[in-house]
Amino acid sequence: MQKLRTALIIGATSAAITFLFGGWSAVVVGVIAGAVIGMTYGQRSALRTPNGIGREAVVPGLVGGLVVVLGGVIHQFIVRPATGQSPFFTHTLRFFGSNAQIDSITVLIISSVVAILAAAAAAFLIGSAQGLPPDKRNRQIAFALGGFLLLFPFYEQITNLNWMGALITVQIYILLALGLNIVVGYAGLLDLGYAAFFAIGAYTTALLNSPRIEIQWNFWLVIWIAAAVAAIAGIVLGAPTLPLRGDYLAIVTLGFGEIVPVIFRNLIAVTIREPFTRFCFVGCDPAVEVRIACLYSCEGPLNLTGGEAGVNPIGRPVIPFTPDSLFGSSSYLPWYFLVLALIVFSIFLISRLRDSRIGRAWMAMREDELAASQMGIDPVKTKLLAFSMGATFSGFAGAFYGAYIAAIFPGVFDFSVSVIILCMVILGGLGNMIGVIIGGILIMGTDRLFLPQIATLLKKFMQVSVLPNVSNEALRDFLSTSVDPIQMRLALFGIVLVIMMLVRPEGLVPSAERRAELHAGEEPRGAPVTADEPTT
Amino acid sequence: MRPWQKVLIVAVNIYLLLFFGPVAGFDIFRIIPEIASKPSTLLQQLLIGIANGSIIAIIALGYTLVYGIIELVNFAHGDVYMLGAFMSLTIIGAFGVTAESTGAQKIVAILVAFLGAVAFTATANVTIERVAYRRLRNAPRLASLISAIGVSFILQNVGLFWGGLKAFFPIMGVNAAAPKAFPELIGRIDVFKDILGWNVPISFSTKDLLVITVASSLMIGLRLFVQYTRLGKAMRATAENRDAAKIMGIDVDRVIAFTFLLGGSLAGAAGLLVGLYNNTAVFTMGFTAGLRAFTSAVLGGIGNITGAMLGGFLIGILAAFSDQYFSSRWTNAWVFAVLVLVLVFRPTGLLGESIGQKA
Amino acid sequence: MLELKDVHTYYGNIHALKGISLKVEKGEIVTLIGSNGAGKTTTLRTIQGLLRPRSGSIVLEGEELTKIPPHLITERGVSQSPEGRLIFPRMTVLENLEMGAFSRKDKDGIKRDLERVCIVFPRLKERVKQKGGTLSGGEQQMLAMGRALMANPRVLLLDEPSMGLAPILVEQIFQIIQELNKQGTTILLVEQNARMALSIAHRGYVLQTGHIRLQGDAKRLHDDEEVRKTYLGEE
Repeated sequence: MQKLRTALIIGATSAAITFLFGGWSAVVVGVIAGAVIGMTYGQRSALRTPNGIGREAVVPGLVGGLVVVLGGVIHQFIVRPATGQSPFFTHTLRFFGSNAQIDSITVLIISSVVAILAAAAAAFLIGSAQGLPPDKRNRQIAFALGGFLLLFPFYEQITNLNWMGALITVQIYILLALGLNIVVGYAGLLDLGYAAFFAIGAYTTALLNSPRIEIQWNFWLVIWIAAAVAAIAGIVLGAPTLPLRGDYLAIVTLGFGEIVPVIFRNLIAVTIREPFTRFCFVGCDPAVEVRIACLYSCEGPLNLTGGEAGVNPIGRPVIPFTPDSLFGSSSYLPWYFLVLALIVFSIFLISRLRDSRIGRAWMAMREDELAASQMGIDPVKTKLLAFSMGATFSGFAGAFYGAYIAAIFPGVFDFSVSVIILCMVILGGLGNMIGVIIGGILIMGTDRLFLPQIATLLKKFMQVSVLPNVSNEALRDFLSTSVDPIQMRLALFGIVLVIMMLVRPEGLVPSAERRAELHAGEEPRGAPVTADEPTT
Repeated sequence: MRPWQKVLIVAVNIYLLLFFGPVAGFDIFRIIPEIASKPSTLLQQLLIGIANGSIIAIIALGYTLVYGIIELVNFAHGDVYMLGAFMSLTIIGAFGVTAESTGAQKIVAILVAFLGAVAFTATANVTIERVAYRRLRNAPRLASLISAIGVSFILQNVGLFWGGLKAFFPIMGVNAAAPKAFPELIGRIDVFKDILGWNVPISFSTKDLLVITVASSLMIGLRLFVQYTRLGKAMRATAENRDAAKIMGIDVDRVIAFTFLLGGSLAGAAGLLVGLYNNTAVFTMGFTAGLRAFTSAVLGGIGNITGAMLGGFLIGILAAFSDQYFSSRWTNAWVFAVLVLVLVFRPTGLLGESIGQKA
Repeated sequence: MLELKDVHTYYGNIHALKGISLKVEKGEIVTLIGSNGAGKTTTLRTIQGLLRPRSGSIVLEGEELTKIPPHLITERGVSQSPEGRLIFPRMTVLENLEMGAFSRKDKDGIKRDLERVCIVFPRLKERVKQKGGTLSGGEQQMLAMGRALMANPRVLLLDEPSMGLAPILVEQIFQIIQELNKQGTTILLVEQNARMALSIAHRGYVLQTGHIRLQGDAKRLHDDEEVRKTYLGEE
């Protein structure tokens, strides 16, 4: 029983998801829980053979799956009635065009059985991988992960889980977080205005590919241009920060992060005229003056970015030999695979960067800029490259986002976006790509999947079970409007940041050096030590 | 760099400013004639700038005091100001005073709101320091900055939540996120025309007078406090060298907590003033005001009290001019531009001396 | 009056003081000498409460100092002219001295001591309204010591008063130190300049990488073979 404790904990945490969603989600959650159980037990195992370790992980996997399934059962028979829904209803399955109906009890049974078996299988697979030498292990895990990521969307579509929209958003933000990780995690430059690059990527795509402005370039070309423009923007916005240290650098990036969306929001009446030829206050012929001096948009001011209304619509990607409507609003699948491909591509690029000379230069500079410069690392080039490379990925993300939503509005790119991405990087672990991805899934998943679902259930719960029993008018009004988890999201991100800083600044999945670095000022036990070391 | 190179760079930048400025509303070919034709508008904007600037200056003092003593940019300070405005609104709403109430009723409500808001924000600020910043004093400086950002978000959410409590505070109105209206408690009596009987083209209402006098009194009071009282000197000593202050027998933790108390109180007062002056409050007002106030503090010289006051007035005037002559949509960008320019080219600000390389 | 017993102080994981034991009797000048990095300043900072020892005790006339916060240690009667002087550069000389007396409540006593400091350091009296940062090195050292005196301490800790000063100023400072001691101040003096330190002290301790190597009467230390070679630079 003691040995199964970890499996129970992992299962219980994952069961929170099935508790909220029930039904078919059990299988997905079961697989993930099983994989995590497999990894934990596999790493702890004293055995040597992969098969042996895998077999050892099977029972914990079954246990974890069982707990997950239990969450689903509770959802169906306790949560649903409490929120005014019947435990007995019909699910619709979609098989590429035709539908099938199954009753909810059958669904529960099927998904539970499959979930438990899948959990055990995942535990075996990942657990046994722990017994392999590192490269084989990574390959096995990569295969398992890849298989999961490829099959999952089809499962989701068939079972009507309705997670896809949220998940694609999660993936966009993961792209952004990977980019910010270069700047903050590798190079150690606290960038608080990262949303500006996101905006630049999105607006570049929008302006080059919108029927509204009568430019329509191919998306596959535009995405590279957007990335390039973002990269250049990284250099331009990073340059003024070069002489600054830590907190001032952060404030300046914050400033830019605010200025850029303001610029995009307000380019609604653009006319550019050469200044010197306008030096005439009295007695000049305006028509002549305009013809000489005007350089851009002379017939009348140009509404470049659409202001508050944004750019709408934006053209969609088209793959040759496929129908034009493939990347449409009807199906999520093509989008999912596109952004997944972008993420895989980015991970590949970034790990190349990290292991290259420039990557090592970044880390050296992060540790000690002065020492690094003494060893021949040019801080100017290194910093600018960090900003530039970091911004490139937000260029990709912005391009995808623009095409996906098919419209962009300046209000989307505000400071809270920059902070949310920073939240992900900090939660996951500065400088660690896997950590950042996990942080991204946790934060955005909570924001786009969890919170809305909790909010919906809570609202129904209030209506059905609580409000009828509350007589006080004011209290009833309060409960129905103010108790809304979605409205608490700012506080949620804030609390994550504060708690992470106080308790675990190196993140959930840190590298060992980072942990040592960040806890250096602490005593192993006893009172905290103060300030500088003296010379005698 | 040779002198001629510097001149060239400045000249090129001025040219670029003239070239692209009109996009951001800075079209001097339009502005100069406009000013020349109506000089009274310029003076009016100056006045508006000073009134708004005095409120910004009070908030800026909070930033500069905290930065001076623990070298932290207290991101959450603007949101404490917002909470002060909300607390004032709640108290005034509880009194139920409106524009039609008697003078005595209004005065009582305003006084209680003042005391309540100040007490609330002072306590909040001290608590925040205790919980979110104290443990991080010896950590890398960016850790406390990130923690401050987190606190800022939490406070904004508190404001949002508070604004939705119409069930308990009807004055909050229907929509949690929407701006709230303060009742018009300070009459718009023009001091020049109605009271003094002068016939001038500028209007200067009792509202302006109230804001400028209260704000100035608070600022001067703070300046005197820090300069001449024992605790004020202890604050200065701690800001200059924390270890030496400890050796003097100064309880540094208490002094820092007191600094936050002072800063919080000023923020609370500013919240009430802005509510009475602009008759509105919204949960996002802390962010804009905070950035303007922080820019003021940096412009004047971060850590320098007189600098924060001067910077506040300057930014207030800049914002007023920008609203009037450039384009109010671009004002935030212009304020940020000032911030960036100061940090890059003269980080010590107008009045600041360089803060030594402390830990 | 002041006694350290087996004090161990750490910086993170670095073991800086490895069991220091020393005594300062009332009315004495005790000096702590040793080379750079030996732990002399660490010792003074530990006594003052800026650092906490992981083990060991520091007792001032019967009271255990390791349990009380630094600002109360000053109140108990330990004050310091720290390494690097650490005067408040933007406050005036007068304000610096006032800060020195921060832990005291007796207004008359403070006034008396202010006058006394002005007599001992007439240069400070001349510059009383000047900002501390504008003073010369020697004047800043006097200000630091004057400031420490303003606390009317039972034990005065001096950390490297000779640092960065011209020889003639060093002579002056050390004369003043002796004079203060004759007037009744107990002094624990940390110094790089071993010769001057041993010439005015009653007893001394030699610190090396966190240990006390030698201790005893100042005169005997001065004549000790090893001390002469290592710290006095003689053959």
